[in-house]
Amino acid sequence: MRSTRRSGFVPDPLLSIRDLTVDFATEDGVVHAVQGVTYDVYPGETLGIVGESGSGKSVSMLAVLGLIPQPPGKIVRGDASFKGRNLMQMPNDELRQLRGGEMAMIFQDPMTSLNPVLAVGFQISEAIIAHNSDVGAEKARERGIELLDLVGVPNPDQRYDQFPHEFSGGMRQRAMIAMAIANSPSMLIADEPTTALDVTIQAQIIEVLKAAQRETQAATILITHDLGLVAELADRVVVMYAGRVVESGDVYTIFANPRHPYTVGLMESLPGLTVGDESLQPIPGQPPSLISLPPGCAFHPRCSLSNGRPRCRTEVPELHETGHPEHWSACHFLAELEGYKSKLVTEAIG
Amino acid sequence: MRDGGGAAEAPVARAAAASGYEPSADGTILRVENLVKHFPVRKGLLKSVVGQVHAVDGVDLEVKQGETLGLVGESGCGKSTLARTILKLIEPTSGTIIVNGRDVTRYKRKQMREVRRELQIVFQDPYASLNPRMTVRNIVGEPLKIHGIARNRVERNRRVEELLRTVGMSPEHANRFPHEFSGGQRQRIGVARALALNPQLLILDEPVSALDVSIRAQVINLFDSLQREFGLSYLFVAHDLSIVKHVSDRVAVMYLGKIVEIGTREEVYERPTHPYTQALLSAVPIESPQQRGKRRRIVLEGDVPSPVNPPSGCRFRTRCWKAKEICAEVEPPLENHGFDHPSACHFAEILEPLKLSEQATLSEHAPTVDIDTS
Repeated sequence: MRSTRRSGFVPDPLLSIRDLTVDFATEDGVVHAVQGVTYDVYPGETLGIVGESGSGKSVSMLAVLGLIPQPPGKIVRGDASFKGRNLMQMPNDELRQLRGGEMAMIFQDPMTSLNPVLAVGFQISEAIIAHNSDVGAEKARERGIELLDLVGVPNPDQRYDQFPHEFSGGMRQRAMIAMAIANSPSMLIADEPTTALDVTIQAQIIEVLKAAQRETQAATILITHDLGLVAELADRVVVMYAGRVVESGDVYTIFANPRHPYTVGLMESLPGLTVGDESLQPIPGQPPSLISLPPGCAFHPRCSLSNGRPRCRTEVPELHETGHPEHWSACHFLAELEGYKSKLVTEAIG
Repeated sequence: MRDGGGAAEAPVARAAAASGYEPSADGTILRVENLVKHFPVRKGLLKSVVGQVHAVDGVDLEVKQGETLGLVGESGCGKSTLARTILKLIEPTSGTIIVNGRDVTRYKRKQMREVRRELQIVFQDPYASLNPRMTVRNIVGEPLKIHGIARNRVERNRRVEELLRTVGMSPEHANRFPHEFSGGQRQRIGVARALALNPQLLILDEPVSALDVSIRAQVINLFDSLQREFGLSYLFVAHDLSIVKHVSDRVAVMYLGKIVEIGTREEVYERPTHPYTQALLSAVPIESPQQRGKRRRIVLEGDVPSPVNPPSGCRFRTRCWKAKEICAEVEPPLENHGFDHPSACHFAEILEPLKLSEQATLSEHAPTVDIDTS
């Protein structure tokens, strides 16, 4: 699915997040999970949010959905609006109507997100009825079976009455997707949708996700650590590190000419299946503690570009445009990465 | 070594086979013949055996000195059971395990202890495999103590510090506890422990899958440099095909307890002849958006069948687009079938699932895959 943005006409964003900052109070201190995150999601596009554990990629989304327990969590500042409605000020029951309705979620582990004591079909119909009080049980069942069929669950009318434990991992994830698209959402949020699955099942789920997008025309936010999944599905990419957005842009640009040393490091540390076999260049060191972040740029202690320059240690870099349209990088020295070509795209097509 | 931590300066003097056993003349350290592990399925009040989980069902493989054999397969294919059975952490049901020329299959625990000087294992989860109440010094030093290798505490400490340096950690870390370390560092501690006895072969069971992407590369490079430095052999068990390709000299593909294809890395990745290998490789996500629509994807139908009642004949036939009658009746032998490496398929044919083509063959379902039969 291609975004319509490059054709010149820029639609209003579906979801806008501005300066979102989330803290968690823990015994060891305050965890700065998300710091000043800003991004937009446009209708119909697929936005990949990439980062490692602790980068804030999931927390930023959960905060927007009102799913952060407060306390220990705290939304320190920031705004989020969905179709022009302010999510931060929205009463809980209104938010609940949005979740599972206009904004639907697909989580990583379908075993913990399905209720084990209720039939799978019932859970799908329940989602339909909860958001459409005029739909009767009979009609909801019909629609539920239709949805199971759409996501490729074989014998949907028998499977409808089975329980989650009777479904395999891949089938459960299909059922989750059926549930997510039950109310024709305009935004789908998929948080590591294939991480818990085997490769061949992953490939099936990717196809189901594509089918679900075609069916609903929904914008999709794909939260993942897997660059391959992003390469496969995303139109645009947001890269996060230590609670901040460090780079964002069009998927082709990010993969071909990344302009943040962290993105470069991620790509250099991936062993390739079809690209060259040169040795891996890992990012040295460990991700920082979110309780005591390094001063300045949080990536500077691991950065190959910084070379100990004082500016990296003292000044938090803002997102700057790189020169490519709509391509942003939060690096003081992003100009030095101009012309860098990622190893992932240098291979000629054979 | 580019893995951030201090590189190993002083090579740990390689105690040439601590136990005195050496690889056979052709350099084979480990040979496994027709190895079988069935787990009983018990049910009811009397816990009577109602079935068998065919976790490993007749596996042959060998690992030579200095080489890495990658073992790939999806969850439940038996690859981890195989790894543990080789070390006899799980008793094999039948078959033969030969380590440096001696048959250890019937060895008792005490005898096995000697064998484990030559064979060590690194586990997947560095959070579960290190005792949280022991210091790093005691964790890494324990094998030395058990095997009576270091004569006294001073010598043992010296060796522990040497080992920590070897895996890119600092000797000052020795007095800390596992919880003070990140996943990548814990995995290094696990590697240091495995190296303590100067083994010849390390069994690495999903050693990087619990780690973040940026840390994975550090640990993989550590394995690389250890292999170069000490001439180690690895049996590298993993489900990630890109990582296995990067580290392996030879690769074996497992499905439902059996090896379905085995060969050099190039043979298996570039010229696979078994449909399962082909589907597995084609299912890996592309590496850059530029490759969209340029790789053919074979999407297999259904799930892996239960290992309690594996399908008759070829175990892959229930998901295979080539399956014919013979596949249900005759189990295909692991043979060359006229190609340069063996695969267990009656209809073995080369397909190049990783090859990119300009013409857009978007993902398609397996039955429509056209195969050049000329």
